[in-house]
Amino acid sequence: MLARLPTWARWMLYAAAGVAVLTIVQGFDDTERLTAVTSSQAMLRWAVPIMLAGLGGLFSERAGVVNIGLEGMLILGTWFGAWGAINYGGWAGLATGMIGGALGGLVHAVATVTFGVDHIISGVAINVTAPGVTRFLSSEIFANYEGGSITQSPGTDGVGRFTFPLLAGGDLFGWESPDILGWFTRQDWFLVSDMTGLARGLVAQVSLATVLAFALVPLSAWVLWRTRFGLRLRICGEHPVGGESQGINIYLYKYYGVMISGGLAGLGGAFIASPELSGLYREGQTTGRGFIGLAALIFGNWRPSGTMAGALLFGYPFGIGLRDLDGSASHALLLVNTLALAAVTVWAVRRRRRFDAGLAAGLGLAAAVWYFMSSTVPNWWIDILPFVIVLLVLVFFSQRLRMPRADGLPYRRGES
Amino acid sequence: MALAIELNGITKRFPGVVANDDIDLSVAAGEIHAICGENGAGKSTLMKILYGMQAPDEGTIKINGEPVELHSPAEAIELGIGMVHQHFMLADQLTVLENVILGAEPMRSLGRIDLEAGRRHLDEVGRAYGLDINSDDLVEALEVGERQRVEIIKVLYRGARILILDEPTAVLVPQEVDELFRNVRELKAAGATILFIDHKLDEVLSIADTITVLRQGRTVGTVKPDDVTAGDLAEMMIGSELPVPDAGASTVTSEVALEVSELTVRDAERPVVDHVSLKVRRGEIVGIAGVEGNGQAEMVSAIMGTRTPDAGTLAMLGRDITGASVRERRQMGLGYVPQDRHREGLLLAGPLWENTALGHQTEAPYSRAGWLSRPGMRARAEHVQADFDVRTPSIDVSAHALSGGNQQKLIVGREMVTEPAVLIANHPTRGIDVGAQAAVWEDIRAARADGLATLLISADLDELIGLSDTIFVMLRGRLVARLDPGTVTPRDLGAYMTGAAVEAGTQ
Repeated sequence: MLARLPTWARWMLYAAAGVAVLTIVQGFDDTERLTAVTSSQAMLRWAVPIMLAGLGGLFSERAGVVNIGLEGMLILGTWFGAWGAINYGGWAGLATGMIGGALGGLVHAVATVTFGVDHIISGVAINVTAPGVTRFLSSEIFANYEGGSITQSPGTDGVGRFTFPLLAGGDLFGWESPDILGWFTRQDWFLVSDMTGLARGLVAQVSLATVLAFALVPLSAWVLWRTRFGLRLRICGEHPVGGESQGINIYLYKYYGVMISGGLAGLGGAFIASPELSGLYREGQTTGRGFIGLAALIFGNWRPSGTMAGALLFGYPFGIGLRDLDGSASHALLLVNTLALAAVTVWAVRRRRRFDAGLAAGLGLAAAVWYFMSSTVPNWWIDILPFVIVLLVLVFFSQRLRMPRADGLPYRRGES
Repeated sequence: MALAIELNGITKRFPGVVANDDIDLSVAAGEIHAICGENGAGKSTLMKILYGMQAPDEGTIKINGEPVELHSPAEAIELGIGMVHQHFMLADQLTVLENVILGAEPMRSLGRIDLEAGRRHLDEVGRAYGLDINSDDLVEALEVGERQRVEIIKVLYRGARILILDEPTAVLVPQEVDELFRNVRELKAAGATILFIDHKLDEVLSIADTITVLRQGRTVGTVKPDDVTAGDLAEMMIGSELPVPDAGASTVTSEVALEVSELTVRDAERPVVDHVSLKVRRGEIVGIAGVEGNGQAEMVSAIMGTRTPDAGTLAMLGRDITGASVRERRQMGLGYVPQDRHREGLLLAGPLWENTALGHQTEAPYSRAGWLSRPGMRARAEHVQADFDVRTPSIDVSAHALSGGNQQKLIVGREMVTEPAVLIANHPTRGIDVGAQAAVWEDIRAARADGLATLLISADLDELIGLSDTIFVMLRGRLVARLDPGTVTPRDLGAYMTGAAVEAGTQ
């Protein structure tokens, strides 16, 4: 029955079911943070850089180049993004961040495509080099600014905000439209108001940078699957020698793919340095989100919409953790984890995957025991939770995924 | 008649070898011209030069009378040359249409592809040349013969008038070969010039208008099929008669060495090996015929112990080995010649003596008291090199320095020297030259006379019929027929392999 619905409707349903679970669960812990509007807004802000890194990975890996260097490109994006924003304003910051990331992509492309360096080695090299480069640049430039130092920049400017008309009452050509979701939220109906509250948080007063980032998801899908550029890029990831035999310049498209990859990661970095998240460049502020972006890409089966879903899923616990000083929301999340693992257990049992079922049941039980034995959880748990989710998702679902066939394989022109 | 292709004095050197040595070739417009030669005779290199994938060191190329220099396939395509590669150049996850239009996409505004126009053109080409294909299928879902049709449509779509078919029959069963030949004749009737690379002599004689034979990078001669016999061609190709596989008198005993009972292997939910039962006795060679991907690989993995069967039992020399580890099975005397020698058979960067010990590294003389014994390994390696005619300057060179045939002789020698009780030979002569092929056949035959039980999986139907004592046909994970190699023909086998013929009462 579910399979017959259009994809978007199915995802809406999944999302609604997820919210329903969160609403019920938070009742036990006497917290409203799991479905608070501030939480959904925080999730969105945290998801954006992860998603942009993931989309970056998408362009690179569809072109057959594994990009473990996303983290480094994200770092370059934070520095260049901050520099551009401080000197020329918020929009310029996004543009310079993109350029900075694309430069990192260019280095990766030169190493892997032109010189045939192993993709992982080149990527790790970029991750190691990028912080050094930004430290050097900071000592040369930010250290001379008022309020800057060799490890951080002065505050950055952001871009404007946008409230969607009708849904959240934004202006439409000067007309103040009704705030439909807001009205539902104010009625305080069980479940319905929770959901509309969450949804309104996603469409009211959102940064234009966030809108831009989410617009890139359908745009990426369109470019990759509807245009000649996309077809030629994908052949690089599936069967480069076949593309070569039909006269495609594989090197060129791999360069495009990896540079777009760097550009998108750089945009994600610029977003991190923008007032949406940090409001300045600071060393170490990317905290592994390039890697989580890669995990979102894998979770999304190398597709733009799936990558977005992965980014939102991984972004959610970050968003919760940000304001959860007393640990009650994190405690409630433990019960969510239990339920999710129970669902995975059922799924694995039905597929006769004994090991997976046992593992999921065991972990679920552990989470349940922890939940009932305690009334609050320490801070470190919410800090590592996103990474735990990433790990579990990959453990249980990676076998169902299909990466581009020639992803990560060396390709040399004329050698087949 | 006008010449479509004229090659003069083509020479191409690679480090250590001269692949093409002063080759001349003239192909008339509108003919089917076959290029014959053994593996390593330089056919593929010559075709890559003609298709712009490699540049010749010396020599000139004329296409339709015009001298040209080709630097890339794009330039060759521009001149109306199309190539159907031996290894398909298709992306599995893309549709037929996407694969075909790639590189010549019909466009709309904003860089979009005009899929409708592409589909129309593809259908026109298909109709014009009698090639039928559904343009929206994923290539993944196609049979081998259909994939080849897609490859041919791909080059015709680009307007190719000169088609290079590189060993197009290598992957086909006889019925599919007939279909291909029909298509090729239609192409000729429609005015195309066809270069046909092959080394199966009966096929060459039946399809070609002119035959050019290459040997060791040189042109041996150009003949008309009516003027020569298969024997003459063979002599031109290798300088002597072609060897044929022949097992000789039966040495089958009554003692069962390997028994597979109701073996089932599932991939997700789908059974890829479906209740397979067979026995291999000492002194017997049991052949498994089948189009690749019908469960042979999974069956071999289950027997070797690299994959856990979902049901069924395995017994070796009367002992149940269903739960035994790979090492236990190996130590009991299970020998293995893998299908892909580069991925499964050798450490390409390791020296030959190290490679000789692979798979038996825990046994004497390769190790003593739990420690690897370098002298033991070296002594064995020298023994294998001498007895199995592995042509190498020394046992210290790395495995990738050896030709494919010598690599294979090393692997076969490595297994034979441990005197296994059971040998799983998975495509043991794939992609090696006739000399090495004959040597491998001889090794298997000799061991059979000494009581070796062999399970032979092969795509070479002559090899299966020539060597086996019994042949099973595997289709969609099941053994669908048991045939007597004494009476079966490759054509019959092909019919069973494709499901065109069904034997009543098997299993």
